[in-house]
Amino acid sequence: MPAFLARAPAAPRDYAACSGCGLCLLVCPTWRRSRDPGLMPAALAKALQHGATAAQLAAPIEACSLCGACDPVCPERIDLPGLIMDLRLKLPLPSSALLDDLRARLQQDVAASAASKSAPLLLPGPELRADAALLERVHALLGLVIAEDDGADIALALELGAEIPQHRLQQFLASLRGHSIVAADGLLLRQLRRWLPGSQRMGLGAALSTRAAVRSNLGAADLYVIEARAYHADYERMVAYYDRLQLETGCSLSLDLQRIAIPAVAQGLSQKLGLTAGDDDAQAKWILQGRKPARIVVESLADRAAFERVCDVPVVHLAELGEDPEMMKKDRHAFG
Amino acid sequence: MKIAPVEPGTVGPCPVAPDALQGIKRQQTNAARWNGAGWQDFVAALRASGVDLAEGAAACGRYATDAGGTAYGLPHGVVIARDAGQISLLLKAAQAHRVPVTVRGGGLTTEGESVAFGGVLLDMSGMSRVLQIDAQALTVRTEAGIYWHSLAEELRRENLDYLSAPLNLTSSVGGTLGVGGIDVNSARLGCSADQALSLQVVTPTGDIVECSDSENQELFQRVILGYGQFGIITEATLRVRPYTPLSMHYYYYSSLRTAIEDLQMLDRNDASDYSGILTIMDCAVNLLVAFDSDEREAAFRKNWESRLRGHGEFGFALCMLGHYALRPWKFREALYLLQRKRQVFPEFRRPEYMREGKMHDRTVVFSRAVWKHWGSRQMVIPDLATSAGKFIEAVERGNAVCREYFVHYTLYCVGIKLRPDHQPHYEMSCVPPDAEGWAYGCEFEPMIEGGVYSRDHFQAFKNAIYDIGIDLGASYYRFGGMMKGYIRRVFGDALVDRHLAMKRRADPAMILNRDVIF
Repeated sequence: MPAFLARAPAAPRDYAACSGCGLCLLVCPTWRRSRDPGLMPAALAKALQHGATAAQLAAPIEACSLCGACDPVCPERIDLPGLIMDLRLKLPLPSSALLDDLRARLQQDVAASAASKSAPLLLPGPELRADAALLERVHALLGLVIAEDDGADIALALELGAEIPQHRLQQFLASLRGHSIVAADGLLLRQLRRWLPGSQRMGLGAALSTRAAVRSNLGAADLYVIEARAYHADYERMVAYYDRLQLETGCSLSLDLQRIAIPAVAQGLSQKLGLTAGDDDAQAKWILQGRKPARIVVESLADRAAFERVCDVPVVHLAELGEDPEMMKKDRHAFG
Repeated sequence: MKIAPVEPGTVGPCPVAPDALQGIKRQQTNAARWNGAGWQDFVAALRASGVDLAEGAAACGRYATDAGGTAYGLPHGVVIARDAGQISLLLKAAQAHRVPVTVRGGGLTTEGESVAFGGVLLDMSGMSRVLQIDAQALTVRTEAGIYWHSLAEELRRENLDYLSAPLNLTSSVGGTLGVGGIDVNSARLGCSADQALSLQVVTPTGDIVECSDSENQELFQRVILGYGQFGIITEATLRVRPYTPLSMHYYYYSSLRTAIEDLQMLDRNDASDYSGILTIMDCAVNLLVAFDSDEREAAFRKNWESRLRGHGEFGFALCMLGHYALRPWKFREALYLLQRKRQVFPEFRRPEYMREGKMHDRTVVFSRAVWKHWGSRQMVIPDLATSAGKFIEAVERGNAVCREYFVHYTLYCVGIKLRPDHQPHYEMSCVPPDAEGWAYGCEFEPMIEGGVYSRDHFQAFKNAIYDIGIDLGASYYRFGGMMKGYIRRVFGDALVDRHLAMKRRADPAMILNRDVIF
C-alpha cells in the first residue's frame, strides 16, 4: 500500500465487517447494468473474507464506477469506495495512452496557486476548465480563486488505481492547506476529507446551488441531477441540504427512495480507460423513467452529455441558471 | 435418461427434540455436506447445455452463510439465474446427476435455508427485472429474484406501491412468496404471499409451468408458502396499489399484555391501516398505528383512539420518570432506555422522509432502522405464530425465555389477516392450523450488541422458544433448516408424511432445497 494511503485516517471498518446484507446492491449502478451479484461490493467483501485475492476479484474491482452510493447505505459502515480504490492499486493496470500520459503528469511539478493564504479555492477539474465560458460563469457566481493546481492528475490516478508519487501529493495538499475548497470532482473531494481533515470542503454543485441567483431560477418543473460522488462523500450533510433545496424550490431530485443520488453516468475502469464502450445511457434513462421534467439541471458536465443523448428535454448546467447580474453580485462566494 | 428412485424411508430421528430442555446444551443441526458424487460429470453436462457455473473461493465464498449467521456451508458451484429456460436445464441436469440445488434470493433466511451444504447454489438475484406494470389493473409482473425494495423503486415511478413486504429491503419476491412475508399492514392486507395472483414456476424436474388459483391450482397451493420444496418461482404477478404516505401514531405501554390486547382490538375492528408492536424493554412497549388516508385517521381518532390504554411519548416519559424515581437501583435500565430512545427515535423522524407531518417511503425508514439498530452479523430471531386467542400467552412465555437468555431483546408482534379461500396454501406453513380470521406472529430478537454468545446458547434459546410452540399447538415462521427438527413435532406425522410423499413425486431425486424441510 502506498505511503499516502497508509497514513490516511483509517477507514471506518474494513471488508471483514461485511455481513453480506446486500444493501449495497440496491443502489449500485453496476448492478442495474449487469444483474451480476458477483460484481457487488458485498460479494467482493465476502470473497475477501474467504481468502480471494485482488487478482481473483479483478472483475468487481474494475467494474465499480466509484459513485460511492454504497457507502452511506452500508449498515456496517464499511468504507466500500475506499476498499475498491485500495484494491485497484493492487491490480496490474493495462497499458493505455491515458495511463502513460497520467504517469508523466504525476512526475511533473505543478505551479503553486498564487492565491492569498485564506482565499477560498475552486478546483474546477479538466471538463470545466475546458469550457471557458462556463468556468467564467462559475467564477462569477462563486467568486473563488481558480486553483492553478486542481489535482486533476491525482483525481484521475485515484480513479484508475495508479500510484500517486508522494512528492506530488504533498505538493498538491500544501497548496490547499488553509483554504476553503470547492471541488468539481467528487472523488477528489472524498479523498480530501481523509487527507485534509478539518478543512472546509464543498462540491461544486452544492456550492453553486447556495447562490440566490441559481436557486431563484429553480422550479417545480425542473429535474435537478445531483453529482453522485460529492453527494455520497458527505451524505449526512448533503441529504439534509438537498432536502431543504427541494422544499424551497420545488424541483425534483435525482434521488432514489433511500435518498441516494442515482449517478447519471457510471463508468467502470475499462470504460474510463477507453478500452470498452460504456453504457452511459442506461443510468440517465433510469433517472428519467416515469418522470416528465420540463428541464434538466445538472451539476456535472458529464451528466449533461448523458441526458442530451437520451432525451429532448433542455439540459442546462447549474451555473447557467445564474444569469441575473444583480443577483450574482450578492453573496460573492460560496463560503460567504 | 433413467432417474434412479430415492430409497423409500422416513425422515430420521429428530436431532433437536430429544434434548429440547432448557439448560441442556444442544448440538447444531446443520445439514450434512453433500459428498460431491458425480460433480464433474454434472458440471460437464451443465456446461454442455450452455449453463454457466462458477467455482472457487471468489464465486462461492460469498454464500457461506445467510442472515442468521449461524449456519455455514459452501456450494461446489454457483449459477446466477438468468431465465426460466436456464433454470429448467439446471434442474434437469441436477435430477439426472442427483446434485442438490439450493435456491437463494436475498439470503435473509436465519436457519441456513439458503445456505448450500455442497452442490449448486442458484442465486436468483440475477432475475430481478420488472416485466410489466399495469397501472389500470393494479398489477405488476416481475422476475422473482427482485428484491422488494427494487420493486418499490420501479413502482414509485408510476406512483404505485406493493401491498406488503418484509421490512428489510433485501428480501426477494420469490423467497418471500415461498415463506409468507409479514408487514405492519398484514393485519389488514394479509401476508405477502397472499398478494400473488399467478406465478411462473420451474418444477424440480425442470418443467416451466404457469400457476394460479385457477390454473395448475395444486402447484400454486404447494409453491406459495411451500419453503421452496415444490418448485422455483421465476416470475410473479402481484397485486399493487396506489402509493400513499403514512400518518404515524405511537402509543407506549408498560404492559405487554395490555399492548397486545389493544393491538388485537384495533385489528378486529379494522381501525387502522398499519399496526404492530415493538418492544424496547419489558416495561417499554410501543404500539405503532398508521394510516394511508386522512379519512381513516379521522375515523380512528373519533372511534378508537380513546379506547387505547397506551400513552403518548410525553405522558409515557413522565410515567417512566416516576417509575425509576421510586426504583433508583434500576438506573442502568433507565439509562439503556434513554440511550435506545436517543438512538432509535430520530431514525423514524428523519426530515427527508417527512412532509407535512406524514412519513414517506415508510419501508425505507423502517428497514434502515431495522438494519441499523436491530440487525447484526448473527440474526437470531425465533418466532411463534399462533391463533389470536393463544397469542398473549405465547408472547408472555416467549418474553420470559428471552429474559432468561439475554440482557436486552426486542419483540416484534403483528397480526396477519387470513384469506379463507387460501386455506390450502396455509397447510404446513407458518399459519397455525387453528387460526381463524387472523394469525398472530411474534419474533423474539436478542440485542447482541457486540456480545459473544456460543452457537449452543443461541440454539438453546431458539429451542426454548420453539418448545412453547409445541406446547401451545402453534406454528413458526422459521421452521426450516436448523429448526426442521420441530416440523414433525408441530405438524404431526400424518401431515408431514403426506407432504413428503408429494415432494417425492415432484422431486424424485430430492435435489431441490434439500434439508430445508425434508
